Amino acid sequence: MNPKKRAVTVAVAGTAIGAAGLAVMAMPAGAEEAPELPPVSAQELVSSVLRADIPALAGNVRIENDLGLPSMPGLPVLDVESARVYHDGDEGSRIALEQGSSELTVVQNGGTVWSYDSAENSATKLTVPAETREHRAHAQEGFSDPTSAAGQLLDYVRQSSTVSVDGTASVADRPAYELVLTPKPSERTLLREVRIAVDSETRVPLRMSVLTNGTTEPALEIGFTDIDFGQQPANLFQFTPPQGATVTEERPRAHDERMPAGAIGEFSGEGWDTVYTGTVPADLTAAQDTEGRDVQSLLDRLGKRVSGDFGSGYAIETKVGTAIVTDDGRFAVGAVPQQVLTDALAQR
Amino acid sequence: MTEVATAPAVPVAGRAHASLARLVRAELRWIFRRPRTLVVLGLLAVIPVIVGIALTLVDSPGPPGGGDGGGESLLATAGGNALVLPIGTLAMALGLLLPLSAAMAGADALAGESAHGTLRGWLLGPVSRGRLLLVKSIGVAVFTVTATVVMALTGVLTGLVINGTGSLFTLSGTTLSFPAALLKVAIAAGWVALQLWAVGAVALAISAWTEHPMVVLASVLGGVIVFSVLGLLDALDWLHPFLLNHSWTDLGDVLRDPMPGGALAEGALRAGCYIAIALSLAYARLSTKDG
Repeated sequence: MNPKKRAVTVAVAGTAIGAAGLAVMAMPAGAEEAPELPPVSAQELVSSVLRADIPALAGNVRIENDLGLPSMPGLPVLDVESARVYHDGDEGSRIALEQGSSELTVVQNGGTVWSYDSAENSATKLTVPAETREHRAHAQEGFSDPTSAAGQLLDYVRQSSTVSVDGTASVADRPAYELVLTPKPSERTLLREVRIAVDSETRVPLRMSVLTNGTTEPALEIGFTDIDFGQQPANLFQFTPPQGATVTEERPRAHDERMPAGAIGEFSGEGWDTVYTGTVPADLTAAQDTEGRDVQSLLDRLGKRVSGDFGSGYAIETKVGTAIVTDDGRFAVGAVPQQVLTDALAQR
Repeated sequence: MTEVATAPAVPVAGRAHASLARLVRAELRWIFRRPRTLVVLGLLAVIPVIVGIALTLVDSPGPPGGGDGGGESLLATAGGNALVLPIGTLAMALGLLLPLSAAMAGADALAGESAHGTLRGWLLGPVSRGRLLLVKSIGVAVFTVTATVVMALTGVLTGLVINGTGSLFTLSGTTLSFPAALLKVAIAAGWVALQLWAVGAVALAISAWTEHPMVVLASVLGGVIVFSVLGLLDALDWLHPFLLNHSWTDLGDVLRDPMPGGALAEGALRAGCYIAIALSLAYARLSTKDG
């Protein structure tokens, strides 16, 4: 082969290999074929989910939201796109939320919950008192008969929704059943359906998607991109604050302290068009955020003026829900169109 | 240029093949005797020291909310952390400084020698063109590895002097033992070196096509800047996986515990693809170049 020919061959071959490699990486992960699984009824599926203990696992969770939220400064939690989740099959769990180049780690082991923020180098230790944990354990015993619990749960949900198993899906390379909750036609809600993918083998929920009216892409989707079941190293579930970290200790507040006085609201309606109405606490209206903007100017920016029988105020609309804050300090939120909220406010 | 005299000795006619080791040794001697090589290495070594001291003196946690830029927001946490300092400065320098020095090495390797007329000796000598490219690639690779290791080492030393051995902890808050921390720094440095090999390979390819080292520098630097700008445009989502520096901000993953490997592996694969393309093009040009 003469040098020229060889040069061309090498150039073409090398470029082809490299370009193919890049193209493979650029290829979006195509929708995999729905796996074939034995049919299961909605009731069986729900009761097996309730019965299942979460096994030891390690996985990556991806959070995609297209909620149509107005961009809100000072709410970094919304920036989270992915999280790594570990569970030891018993009482230990670890969640690492990636935010840009920093990380928020939450390690739980029995009654101790550590959270660590790398951007601030600060750690918080929360001790859950033994009686609270026992209380929770008792609450779980209510599920001791998962079949009847599933029946009760389904009966309640079916008052407002249609529950069905809608085929199968492959989530994180695992075959899963798709449990679908659809609001009944009488429900006045912005949501079209909620889909929950349940692993066919371990019955662990692998993905949840919320779909709204008029869109094909989920408004909110939380799901595993990969998951491994199996024993995890024990040191993952221990936490020692590093050098120089600011450590604060907290005890959980008693139930009645948790809500600031004056904010107590109430639910009205049932099912999908439930609306939560109440009064905004006075100290919040007066509060200013770190950059000196008060709530009023924030509302001006996020919401639009609305008025009607209920009075006047600001409405903040997203794809999955609406909120109204009136000028006299009342508020209403729900996964419903604005009309439902104004009706609820007018009744108060 | 007194160094020209010590140019890689063209093997005496009659001997069919010079041993590869000897050629590489000569090339390395040639690279590391250049004053500019030493100056660049020296400057890179000083960067972590300056950053470490500045962060300690200023002692501010950076702008509230951090930012999404890879190196910049990592550096916000580097002040009190001897593990973040070397990796954070590597991430910062990977943005522009390290690619610049890789481009410099690539430019000198072929175009530079071409400009000085010393490449003729190689082309006329009984050294096959493939072997010539291999020797030059090894030269660039060794230089970039040296640059990364020097930065990582001064970074670790600065961090340890300022904060002590207790301050080797990850973004997940796990305090590491000294060997475990060194392993993490080594992984980061190795990954950065691989990315720089990709840059150096592209520089070599351009270097083979031109006689002007400045052209190589300008095009590589321009390429890095254009790639960064393209990477910022959300409308070009589909293009991003093709950009070499798409994964450069993922270097911070090394600092997480347990370390998520997906993004890093993808970045390594991407660098490999660039190396395959660039070196094959460089070979094609070099093998048809007239002595």
